[in-house]
Amino acid sequence: MQTNFTAEQLADPHVATSEKILRKCVHCGFCTATCPTYVTLGNELDSPRGRIYLIKDMLENGRPADAEVVTHIDRCLSCLACTTTCPSGVDYMHLVDHARMHIEETYRRPFWNRLTRNILAATLPYPSRFRIALRAAALGRPFAGLFKRFKAFEPFGAMLDLAPKTLPKASASSKPGTYDAAGERHGRVAILSGCAQPVLKPGINEATIRLLNRLGVEVVAPAGEVCCGSLVHHMGREAQALEAARRNVDVWLEEVEKGGLDAIIITASGCGTTIKDYGFMLRLDPVYAGKAARVSALAKDVTEYLATLDLPQQEGKGLTVAYHSACSMQHGQKITMAPKTLLKKAGFTVRDPAEGHLCCGSAGTYNILQPEISAKLKARKVKNIEATKPDLIATGNIGCITQIATGTAVPILHTVELLDWAYGGEKPVAISNLSTKMPA
Amino acid sequence: MTPIHEPLSEEAAARLVMIAGLSATPFSISGGGTRSLLPATDGAEQLSTRGLNGIVAYNPAEMTMTVRAGTPLEKVEAALAENRQMLAFEPVDLRGVLGSSGIPTIGGVFATNASGPRRFVAGAARDSLLGVRFVNGKGEIVKAGGRVMKNVTGLDLAKLLAGSHGSLALLTEVTFRVLPMPETAVTIVVSNLNDAEATAAMATAMALPVEVSGAAHLPESVRGRFVGGALPDGAATVLRLEGLAASVSVRAQKLADAMAGFGTVSQCDAGLTQRLWREIRDATPYADGTSRPLWRVSVAPTAGQQLVAALRLEAGVDAFYDWQGGLVWLRMESDPEAALLRRYIKAVGGGHATLLRARPDVLAATEIFQPQTDAVTAIQTAVKASFDPAGLFRSRMTG
Amino acid sequence: MDQIAFLEPRPAVLSRRREIVADLLDLLPEGCLVHEPRELVPFETDAFVSYRRLPLAVALPETTQQVAAVLKYCHRYGVPVVPRGAGTSLAGGAIPQEDAVVIGLSKMSRILEVDFANRTATVQAGVTNLAISDAVSADGYFYAPDPSSQLACTIGGNIGMNSGGAHCLKYGVTTNNLLGVKLVLIDGTIVDLGGKALDAGGLDLLAVVCGSEGQLGIVTEATVRLIARPEGARPVLFGFDTSEEAGACVADVIGAGIIPVAIEFMDKPAIEICEAFAQAGYPMDVEALLIVEVEGSEAEMDAMLASIIEIAGRHGVKVVKECQSATEAALIWKGRKSAFGATGRIADYICMDGTVPLGQLPHVLRGTAEIVAKYGLRVANVFHAGDGNMHPLILFNANDPEDAARAEAAGNEILKLCVDAGGCLTGEHGVGIEKRDLMRHQYSEVDLAQQMAVRAAFDPQWLLNPSKVFPLEGRPAA
Repeated sequence: MQTNFTAEQLADPHVATSEKILRKCVHCGFCTATCPTYVTLGNELDSPRGRIYLIKDMLENGRPADAEVVTHIDRCLSCLACTTTCPSGVDYMHLVDHARMHIEETYRRPFWNRLTRNILAATLPYPSRFRIALRAAALGRPFAGLFKRFKAFEPFGAMLDLAPKTLPKASASSKPGTYDAAGERHGRVAILSGCAQPVLKPGINEATIRLLNRLGVEVVAPAGEVCCGSLVHHMGREAQALEAARRNVDVWLEEVEKGGLDAIIITASGCGTTIKDYGFMLRLDPVYAGKAARVSALAKDVTEYLATLDLPQQEGKGLTVAYHSACSMQHGQKITMAPKTLLKKAGFTVRDPAEGHLCCGSAGTYNILQPEISAKLKARKVKNIEATKPDLIATGNIGCITQIATGTAVPILHTVELLDWAYGGEKPVAISNLSTKMPA
Repeated sequence: MTPIHEPLSEEAAARLVMIAGLSATPFSISGGGTRSLLPATDGAEQLSTRGLNGIVAYNPAEMTMTVRAGTPLEKVEAALAENRQMLAFEPVDLRGVLGSSGIPTIGGVFATNASGPRRFVAGAARDSLLGVRFVNGKGEIVKAGGRVMKNVTGLDLAKLLAGSHGSLALLTEVTFRVLPMPETAVTIVVSNLNDAEATAAMATAMALPVEVSGAAHLPESVRGRFVGGALPDGAATVLRLEGLAASVSVRAQKLADAMAGFGTVSQCDAGLTQRLWREIRDATPYADGTSRPLWRVSVAPTAGQQLVAALRLEAGVDAFYDWQGGLVWLRMESDPEAALLRRYIKAVGGGHATLLRARPDVLAATEIFQPQTDAVTAIQTAVKASFDPAGLFRSRMTG
Repeated sequence: MDQIAFLEPRPAVLSRRREIVADLLDLLPEGCLVHEPRELVPFETDAFVSYRRLPLAVALPETTQQVAAVLKYCHRYGVPVVPRGAGTSLAGGAIPQEDAVVIGLSKMSRILEVDFANRTATVQAGVTNLAISDAVSADGYFYAPDPSSQLACTIGGNIGMNSGGAHCLKYGVTTNNLLGVKLVLIDGTIVDLGGKALDAGGLDLLAVVCGSEGQLGIVTEATVRLIARPEGARPVLFGFDTSEEAGACVADVIGAGIIPVAIEFMDKPAIEICEAFAQAGYPMDVEALLIVEVEGSEAEMDAMLASIIEIAGRHGVKVVKECQSATEAALIWKGRKSAFGATGRIADYICMDGTVPLGQLPHVLRGTAEIVAKYGLRVANVFHAGDGNMHPLILFNANDPEDAARAEAAGNEILKLCVDAGGCLTGEHGVGIEKRDLMRHQYSEVDLAQQMAVRAAFDPQWLLNPSKVFPLEGRPAA
């Protein structure tokens, strides 16, 4: 559609990028239909097309962000369902990223909102701090209801709700080091240790390392790695995000120098989407642009990598798995078939819940910052999943696991935990009570 | 004897109406006069389309035909048949049940939205109507719609005029869509079902991907009066399939298999099928030479049998069902029981009943069309005035 | 683009803006009225993005009663109202005006009842077209009209425009599949028209409401006809060296009494655009492509296809490609249905919607190419060939005002060509703002006056979507 930017405005590379994105939008409205917030709230302002228009208006007029725009951009889950739907190829992700940067630079949030976001940004990306925070949450849980009675404190209530009642012990696998291939080595990969995931579900990376090792792949967990930066990136805190990205780029490229890497394996698709975007995020950094692009090219979701290994078909297990495709997996990274194909090969019956394109409401810190919408989406997701009458749920993102687990009694696991079991590993504890037809 | 006007051209008709407007002479519009629900009273003069005769354009390759309103239906159908085409909606011929004489016209077909058995899947007359020319109550010649299949340019006045029973304007020309005639047709007969079972059987048939193009239930009381009693004994639930011979036989087998669970299944060949559905279309069992009240009732398909069951407890009724049960041909023993009928229609979820036949005095005293809510009546009145501000065109539909 | 005028805003309304907003806030629940100036901007247009006007406020009611309350208020104070579904109109049907309250139905998106025995679904007006089919597909049914925007467009909008779609060749357009509506009149009166019973009891008001572009009232609920899904359906691709050959083939197929469920046409630019988006496997070395879909049992489809292939052979068909799987079929349709949006990848566009008699297809295709060439523009043709409903997409650069003006002028000429060929201005998108000033090319003053009189019978003050459909000059005094 038509845009109105001056040459001066377009000299800003961020504006120039956004202008190109906006020019592709023909305002057809297809995106509204698959947008979780539009189908929940029924207001175009809370749809991709509405947000695109709000952003366009704000950028064209060179205006600081205001409370209205912020409200609607904040409600965006960044699930990117719109990008999958868009026939015109509008790169909504980078447009909304730009808008969030602009908001962060030009808008002063109300005190409690600022505080919440600061706490999240200072805690979640750091496993040790996150662990302490979760311990504290266990003490705070009785106050969750109290928090929820005040609008400004709602996020704290949501946090307390989400915090697990018990925490697994700190895992050995979150420690840097090299995990050797069993037998002949066919490949070498790095694994992203992550920030929240090793605290909440260390078993995921443990299973990944065990499985890859058995398949003849050496796995290295490099020292010095930090959070991928996704969390602060989605808050518009670009400097912080880029700092994290640069640090990881250095760490991984050093590893490439040392022993070569076939891939950087990521077991949380939310992180994968961001790392695959490092090339774009650092495009304006002359020192890092090329390096970041290399890293993005090496980044692979664990299922994406496993799909290249040609795993054998296993005997049926008599278990029905509802596969929940995380938004970052299906929309962010466009990985749709690999996880299901792997699960089928591993002997599971795989079901696709209805409305699979809709977000579960987790979306990074969304379930904390937008608890009401998030709760509605969770309920809708759980209803659709349970309608497939599954024995268990598989997904590829820690955020979804935490979110969905609070809404259903059906066990939910990471896809790779099931694959590890199917290909010689222990049965996951979470489903130890499920009977299978598998030979003991 | 009221004067009968038969203008020979659209211009003449327009002039006639304009002049009549000056003296506020009311008209009662007719075509062949075969569907008249009531002779004009209140001093209205007859305005007939019979003089507007002839096929204006027929393009078989485009499946459209343009015809002057007073053209006899049989002439239209003959022209179509030469190209193995037809009117998809099977216009009902009311001469039998009304005991009327005369030649049905194409204008009358559309003005009364006269549709037969295929209506519930292929649409009514109004759904085939693409465009019209008409003379409104101001004596203006107006065109609406066009001659292409898809046209949303402006308000769809053509469809509004369909079924308006001469209350809004004098149709002078109609353009409509036609369809290829099916190569063959068969009827699957399921015998001995009661009305409720038949309703369930018909719903099941409609859920199958076999393209049923006629679904009627002929209770025991009327079955023998169809096709000279050639249908098997007991009530007959009849399901028509049409199309290419090879395809019809495959679908017939599928349908017969699915219906076997409901009752004894038999099949009518193409010849008997044609005759049977024509008689269903024209309600032949009620072409009985009497003036016993005859209603044409339209309700939701599953509601038809509920309605009849309820009425049976309070009045002498004879009925059969078309349109998967949603069209009820209802003959009353003596009184039309309009109030009772309309109360029950409301009770089964709504719909409407049109009184087609009764003794003249009863007809005159009964609301023959379904009464509308006040709000809808108000719009109808305003719409009527937008076509015919002086109220020249008298019709039972809008008063 | 600025050739088309909107009605001058009523000063009496503009001057009362704050009061009106305050009153509407009282009438609606929290979160159901958009009135902050910046929040109104995204509502200034629909999918006919060339024209834009800010509304006074946007009401997003949750119930029919709330719709009625807002209408009653607007009626009382003479405030124009513009109804809006999903805002996907290609004719600008939902573009507001400065003194108008937009009533958006997007919060009314519940399916109220599915009745398989009677083959009906009753839904709120904000339900999307595709959501109806999705809700009943597990039981073997579908809702037939399938506009290309069916993923997003609402049934209320479909009724407003009497929308069509690819599969209307066999199943008809919205009006043929609509059984009843709940309609709120401009004074707030709620009426039910039609229902599960067929035909109308009195005048067929439903027939004139369908396609009335929101000028007769606001539909809040609809009862539509469901159809049992055929046993199978198979799209087949036919590639030709020229558009004329493809056009002539379509006319001959229909002329032979064969009515496939859909016949879609794409020319080379359209094929390239759609293939780039959907990777549907369209043949790339042809100038024109027909997607012909047949349905029924395997035997029926084979028989029908054999006849079509034989006819296509007479028109020098170059490629015949039968689709091999359901996935492939889905991709073929995904590409076709995304054609307009996918065009956005290469240029801005306006989409024409004229319908012509089938025999005129080659002539009009040629004429379209000539007109577009005359203006130095490019065109992609993708349309419903089986019913002659053409969609030339005129490509232009929206950031170049002269280019935009040329595109608009070329579009007008193409539509006049359609009318002159015995067709009409719009087959399924509606008149909206886009084609309003061309109405006199198709209709005489008397024809238009009659339509306007009917319109006024529902809304004597001309408050509902007043800038649309009928040329601004020559309207009856309100």
